[in-house]
Amino acid sequence: MNRVEAALTAAGGLTLAATLAATIIPAQWRGATVGTLTTLVGLAGAAAGCWALSGETWHASFPDLLPLAGVEWAVDALSGWLLLLIGAVTAVVGIYTIGYADRSGRGPAARGPLAVLPLFAAAMLAVPAAGSVSTLLWTWELMAIASLLLVVVEHKHSDAARTAGIWYAAMTQAGFVALLVGLSWLAAVSGADSFHGIRAHAAALPAGVRDGVFLLCMVGFVSKAGAVPLHPWLPRAHAEAPSHVSALMSAAMVKLGIYGVLRVAFDLLGGGTRWWWVLVAAIGAVSALYGILQAAVATDLKRLLAFSTSENIGLILLGVGMAGLLAQAGQPAIAALALAAALLHMLNHAAFKSLLFGGAGSVLRATGTRDLDALGGLSRRMPSTTLLVAGGAFAAAALPPSNGFVSEWLLLQALLHAGTGGGTVLAVAAPVAVAVVALTAGIAVATFVKVVGTGFLARPRTAAAADARESPAGMLLAMGLAAAFCVALAVVPAVVARPLRLVLETMRLPQEPLAAETVGLRLPQVGAQLWPLWLTISLVGLTAATATVVRAFGRTRRRARAWDCGDGPLTARMEYTATSFAEPLQRVFDDVLAPETDVDVTPVKESAYLVSAINYRLRIPDRIENRLYRPLIRAFVTIGTAARRLASGSMHRYLAYMLTAVIVVLVAGVWR
Amino acid sequence: MSLIRKIREVGPVAEPAGPSPAAQPASGDLKGSVQVRHVDAGSCNGCEIEIGQAFSPVYDAERHGLRLVASPRHADALTVTGPVTVNMAEALRKTFEAMPQPGRVVAVGDCARDCGVFAGAHGIHGAVDDVVPVDMHVPGCPPEPAAIVAALRGLSGR
Repeated sequence: MNRVEAALTAAGGLTLAATLAATIIPAQWRGATVGTLTTLVGLAGAAAGCWALSGETWHASFPDLLPLAGVEWAVDALSGWLLLLIGAVTAVVGIYTIGYADRSGRGPAARGPLAVLPLFAAAMLAVPAAGSVSTLLWTWELMAIASLLLVVVEHKHSDAARTAGIWYAAMTQAGFVALLVGLSWLAAVSGADSFHGIRAHAAALPAGVRDGVFLLCMVGFVSKAGAVPLHPWLPRAHAEAPSHVSALMSAAMVKLGIYGVLRVAFDLLGGGTRWWWVLVAAIGAVSALYGILQAAVATDLKRLLAFSTSENIGLILLGVGMAGLLAQAGQPAIAALALAAALLHMLNHAAFKSLLFGGAGSVLRATGTRDLDALGGLSRRMPSTTLLVAGGAFAAAALPPSNGFVSEWLLLQALLHAGTGGGTVLAVAAPVAVAVVALTAGIAVATFVKVVGTGFLARPRTAAAADARESPAGMLLAMGLAAAFCVALAVVPAVVARPLRLVLETMRLPQEPLAAETVGLRLPQVGAQLWPLWLTISLVGLTAATATVVRAFGRTRRRARAWDCGDGPLTARMEYTATSFAEPLQRVFDDVLAPETDVDVTPVKESAYLVSAINYRLRIPDRIENRLYRPLIRAFVTIGTAARRLASGSMHRYLAYMLTAVIVVLVAGVWR
Repeated sequence: MSLIRKIREVGPVAEPAGPSPAAQPASGDLKGSVQVRHVDAGSCNGCEIEIGQAFSPVYDAERHGLRLVASPRHADALTVTGPVTVNMAEALRKTFEAMPQPGRVVAVGDCARDCGVFAGAHGIHGAVDDVVPVDMHVPGCPPEPAAIVAALRGLSGR
């Protein structure tokens, strides 16, 4: 038996066991059992991914399992990359669930959410393993429905969760329709359902079909990836879902959107025309900038992390788009480097985002709020969580020596070496992309300084923050594991060099962009080197040495109270809040963000010149949502209300509709 | 164009600097550069106007290495004016403690020395010397800008 097959079969069996366990085991042990089994599902998936990345492939088809097309599995290196990513995230989330789902048997520990959680993980593992159009569509829909059920776990108590569920359901189903049409069209024209059949026919397809299939698939995949402008579901669903589900969705599920783009555009269609890749890169650039700007001004911790996901997806799409453009322009070596950067960033983002959402879950559990303006002072009460979140924030800000830095460095190397030989479009796109990455990285630093500085340091601003308690060991262990992945990817990124080469081969770019030195990375095509381990050691060593020298030889330090202008004492109301910290940025990007301010002055009864109260409200709405989606929703509501007249409630009329429909179908059939 | 012409026509307005003073005993190792934080401990604002003039283009204290700063954390010396009121006594003490040590205190004006006409009045805590240790006095009600500059030059030695 093939090792990949064995691991995936084990994952499937464990999923069934976990779902069964969630339904029959009493509340006291339910969370721990399901969490452990989900961890095992994740480990099995990650093992399958590792074996696939070591060069093993697996192909199997079960034509009788489902009606019409059957089920077909095909695992290659690209699938392996995603299996490893999803498996590792699932393992982390499984451990997190052990601590998060307490013994009460309510909320995230209830029967339903715990039964769906392993199903969701398994559906995500199944998507990259799908080897035919119909299997991909089945698993995709299973994943969408499972995640939707998990998003609306809190629907009884929270209006916001219900709204988030409706947005998510509508957008994911609209995306699915686009995907269904696009992939069915592709399968119909190429006369094959399985991926290897489509691959064989793809080159001979007419250009119009290829363009149409690409556009439809882009709509489906990009909406799942949460890239701007198909993002409005993402900040809602990520914010309202229970935190372990947010971690799964943000760290793993959105990556499947990227997987879809890679699979269809690079692998199945074998690359495309130039405007495809300009489109992908443009979506990436807009998404990166808009995402990080919204994250910088967000005060809801989970909404901030969700917009940061949009930003990172944008960076990945930018890398993918530029890779396609470079490959088009006859520079496969640099293209492979850009694609390698995008793939590595998927892994890095999964590692630090599962850590950060875990931290957000800990904060939410300890204080009952996600509002950064109401937090503060958590570093005293929750030292371990604070340390872990600070590590995740460091990676998300892409500062050296973090794992986020490694992949952004690779992306910048690829963009800077794009050169001018590839035509006007590339010569214009590459510098613009460099500027986008640089601006994004800069604002990301401000954003994550805000998260740690106002949320965790300083003094508690509310009683809830002051009474926070440290999370249980399970949650801390899961976050520690995610942090360990971050550190490993930061210090020895060279381990991915060989697997990356295999992944690039499946995408028809047989190049070796990274050469692994013992502890460093060498980019043979551009002559650049990075030694993350030495970078880490020297940075840590220098800091420690400076501290030691100052302590040993510096003057004795006088302890003085914080300067309070001679008044005092300082209170938590004088601190920087998340809003005030982001205010300068919000001013600079006023034209993009278009904040809505509302000043309400109430004078005293006796005189209009004496003020009794001033009410100041600031809202930074999602502008794209207001401009693009609100009119659309209004139009749908109008059409829906108008169409209501057709459904009068009269049974006779409905029978007449059915009869008419049957006649029309029969006539249309005969006509052909 | 007319602005540049005006500047040329007006020419330098600063008073002649005069020779460098002998270093005062209070100056210590402050040679050349002194950062000054001003505290109004209850003054009638007469002394503030004169201190403002001392740092104006005419008396130009900055050419002697003197600079007004916005926080005692940045300051080498405090200038204190006025009799110290009850409400400002604690703030003055805290301001002195917030300075990097050793910090110098220059009491500017007669009120700062002995409360002047306000001595014994309601709400007066005492002279500056009763709250923080004073290194130099600048007499006058109010003292002339030239006298303030001369006293501060004693600290910077320029």
